[in-house]
Amino acid sequence: MERKLIEGFVEQMQLAMESCPAKSAISGVMGFGLGGMFGLFMSSMRYDTPLTAQGAEISKLPVAQQLRQGFKEMGRASWGSAKNFGMVGMIFAGTECAIEGFRAKNDLTNGVAAGCITGGALAAKAGPQAAAVGCAGFAAFSAAIDYYMRMPSDDPGNDPVM
Amino acid sequence: MSFLFGQRPQPSSAEKIAAAESEIEMVSDMYNRLVETCTRKCIPPTYREADLNKGESVCLDRCVAKFFEVNVKVSEKMQGEAATTSRAGGAGGMGGGFGM
Repeated sequence: MERKLIEGFVEQMQLAMESCPAKSAISGVMGFGLGGMFGLFMSSMRYDTPLTAQGAEISKLPVAQQLRQGFKEMGRASWGSAKNFGMVGMIFAGTECAIEGFRAKNDLTNGVAAGCITGGALAAKAGPQAAAVGCAGFAAFSAAIDYYMRMPSDDPGNDPVM
Repeated sequence: MSFLFGQRPQPSSAEKIAAAESEIEMVSDMYNRLVETCTRKCIPPTYREADLNKGESVCLDRCVAKFFEVNVKVSEKMQGEAATTSRAGGAGGMGGGFGM
């Protein structure tokens, strides 16, 4: 009796995980993490040498100060990148899931449309032309990735019914 | 067998068994046809993974609901036809009923 309850609960949890808000949240969190890592690495390479004016100023400070400024810079860049990637992941996953639920089909065009909406939404602040460019770029990127993921493999055992 | 006027005779146990058998056949036939139709319509034959993805499960929900609704509507129409033809009565009425 209890086992049936537990199995029912597990099934409900699985169904909840596959719902659109859950997918969007998971994707957002993963994007956030990835963006943080990316921002961290990118910022640690972007260092002012003592040859520039700003770099010369920084290199005059004691080492502890330099380190503290460096870490603050890395943290800021990492946070900005994490937010950006997290937003991208959340919007893309949410819109793709919604479009797929609406069309009742699992296609390439779901990803392309979701990419267009995501790119447009992110670039909307910079005006309609930038939104159009963002839409086209992100849609092309998403189409390329989805096409690569959906290519039928060379192993005929994988696709039994052709 | 009843001797009262205007009362239909009760079905015997053999008739009940036959009715239950035919109902089982009808239901299992409808189930098989439903599974075949919705699989052909909703699930493309490139089995890249074992679980149903969201598009496929939404498609299956809609397919099953539509199948049942079509079934109900068609049976209503057929009952309506049968009622009108039985009321009209005779070959002429039946011809007129099906001729429309």
